[in-house]
Amino acid sequence: MAYANPNITADAIDAQEFMDLSRRYRITGVPKTIVNDRIEILGGLPEAEFIGLALQKPDAP
Amino acid sequence: MAMLSDSDRQTLIKHLEPISKKVDVLLFTQTFGGGESGLIAKQVADEVASLNDQVTVVEKNFVLDTDERAKYGVDKSPATVVLADGVDTRIRFYGANTGYEFVALVEAVLLAGTGNLELEPETLTALAAVDQPLHIQVFSTPT
Repeated sequence: MAYANPNITADAIDAQEFMDLSRRYRITGVPKTIVNDRIEILGGLPEAEFIGLALQKPDAP
Repeated sequence: MAMLSDSDRQTLIKHLEPISKKVDVLLFTQTFGGGESGLIAKQVADEVASLNDQVTVVEKNFVLDTDERAKYGVDKSPATVVLADGVDTRIRFYGANTGYEFVALVEAVLLAGTGNLELEPETLTALAAVDQPLHIQVFSTPT
């Protein structure tokens, strides 16, 4: 996703190594994706479903 | 010491054969307070670089190279930043890059070296429309 658009940055983070971040984002299972500190996506999802969640607008339910 | 078996190594060499662009793997580590993961991250990066001549590891000091840290937005170590022909791909890895993250790093290097995004056309259209900063953090564990 990051490669496709210069507005996007993607970090892969070792949850065990960075426990402070894991606590901050309440990582209780992996993979867990956090988008703009706002959207949480748990588990691996099909591409279309993942993109739909990740690109939600702030006022989306 | 090699981390990969001979057969895995041959498989990965073939997998990375399509790379046609120069790929720099920037590795930010620190000697003091960095723990063992920095050493493992270095070993992993070297192993990936040994699979293709176009891939180079560039070591950075997390404590001293503050300008580079700021340039790439690196705020923790060990950190791995992937560049394609010197251009930031905005793909980062934080940690030792073992287990699943090793696979992800290999795929990021392949993407940087080929420019081939294996995404659906609808996905590419949706991504092209992103006009605000989007920071994606994916948490995983090595096993």
